[in-house]
Amino acid sequence: MVNRLWVLVKGELQRLNKYNMTSVSVLVAIIWGIVLFFVNGEWLGYLLPLVLMMDATLMAIMYVGSVMFFEKSESTISTMLVTPVSNKELVLSKLIANTVHNMFASALIIIVFVFIRDLSINYFLMFVAIFIATAFHTLLGIVMAYFQKDFTSMLVNIMIFMFTLGVPSIFYSVGIISGDVWEFVLLFNPIQSAQILIEGGFKGWGFEYDYKYFFSLGYLTIGGILLYYFYALPKFQAYAVKQSGV
Amino acid sequence: MFKVEDLKYRYPKGEADVINGISFEINEGEIFGFLGPSGAGKSTTQKILIKILGDYRGEISYSGKNITEFSDEFYESIGVSFEMPIHFSKMTAMENINFFLKLYKNNANVEELMKRVNLWEDRDKMVGEYSKGMKIRLNIVRAMLNNPEMLFMDEPTNGLDPMNAMILKDMIREFRANGGTVFITSHIMTDIDQLCDRVAFIVEGEIVEMDTPRNLKIKYGKRSMFMEYKENGKTVGIEFPLDGIGKNKEFLDLLQTKEIETLHSGETTLEDIFIQVTGVALKNGE
Repeated sequence: MVNRLWVLVKGELQRLNKYNMTSVSVLVAIIWGIVLFFVNGEWLGYLLPLVLMMDATLMAIMYVGSVMFFEKSESTISTMLVTPVSNKELVLSKLIANTVHNMFASALIIIVFVFIRDLSINYFLMFVAIFIATAFHTLLGIVMAYFQKDFTSMLVNIMIFMFTLGVPSIFYSVGIISGDVWEFVLLFNPIQSAQILIEGGFKGWGFEYDYKYFFSLGYLTIGGILLYYFYALPKFQAYAVKQSGV
Repeated sequence: MFKVEDLKYRYPKGEADVINGISFEINEGEIFGFLGPSGAGKSTTQKILIKILGDYRGEISYSGKNITEFSDEFYESIGVSFEMPIHFSKMTAMENINFFLKLYKNNANVEELMKRVNLWEDRDKMVGEYSKGMKIRLNIVRAMLNNPEMLFMDEPTNGLDPMNAMILKDMIREFRANGGTVFITSHIMTDIDQLCDRVAFIVEGEIVEMDTPRNLKIKYGKRSMFMEYKENGKTVGIEFPLDGIGKNKEFLDLLQTKEIETLHSGETTLEDIFIQVTGVALKNGE
């Protein structure tokens, strides 16, 4: 299984590159780099975690959605279904490849800023934060792809996701909304969880890990595992069969 | 090789069965044609046989074992050629092939296969630049990558020019000659006639006829002989019963005394049989 999974992951990464997703992610990293270069120190503290959060959440959903859209338009899922690979391997390969790919994009943004600005980053915690946030949202992107009819519907779904979950999280981060109620409600927002984990990566080992940090860590980790075992994997066959023209 | 008994299938949101208790066997080393109009259940049956669709009722066994008991090894031993192109268009043909090749334990000689379907010269082209015919030929290579024991082919010659269709038919015959088994669906009746050892006609989820093409032609054909000959500058046509034709004096006299233009037995074609048993005329793409 490991060998086949490795072949599938390599194939997914190769396709992400061939279908220009890698170029897009590099371009996005450069654009963010340019934007953040001109932001002053105080705002950088707000914006850099936001940018990394957007990359690990919305972009992760969009990349995997695009890859699955291409699969649909080229009917390649049909031929994957008649190979010895299992659905578990197919879903896992998408999850691993897209997470690795997205982490590469996030790493680019971080590298740019480490060289340009004097940033204090706990690399281990940042790695954990981006890994967990990206993996969860990639999985969410896979599940959302099950419902997308075409490229437009994928973009519409991402916009809905952005406005219902992304905007409140951003508003809370910059202080537009505040208070205990929002703090509690947003604990169940995966984007907010990603934001909290990423902010943790900018603090040293000495920072106080409050309950929100651990809740977010558990929420995305356990939520991701549950999403994988109870929805993404069991529903994959029905999705793939539907794409193959039945 | 394949034994299907009382197969029934209903789509999850369907109100009625689309496959209504069909039974048939595909023998080892045979080319079995599965024919029927659109929506008759051909593709659904094929998707059940290749384990894409589950939740069917009835029994299906492959090499004496229920197909539900197979795991990876099932796909190691079959190859599937889909009707539509199924390749990553932004990758070259060889990139596509090499990716799929690594998923199997058994690997065919790719160069030989690609040369056979006249794609070797274009192996480093993006599949997106291929014509439809080239993509279909690449489908065939994809289906045979793992040296399968059994091939499932959905409209294999659809979109191919006569030359490449002939090459493909030769490949299918060679595959059979080497012990392979083929399940084929097609609306091109000449292909079916040329290739298949046995055919089954499916209509509204039921098999309405199944036999060798020869036996079907005898069964549905007219036992007669139609002759056209020249008389006083005009063409005259006359039909004789086939039974006892060797002793039919009028027939023998005409043979000996007239200039015969054409002589046809009443043997029918598979296309006529298709129309007769399915009640549906064939159209392109059906």
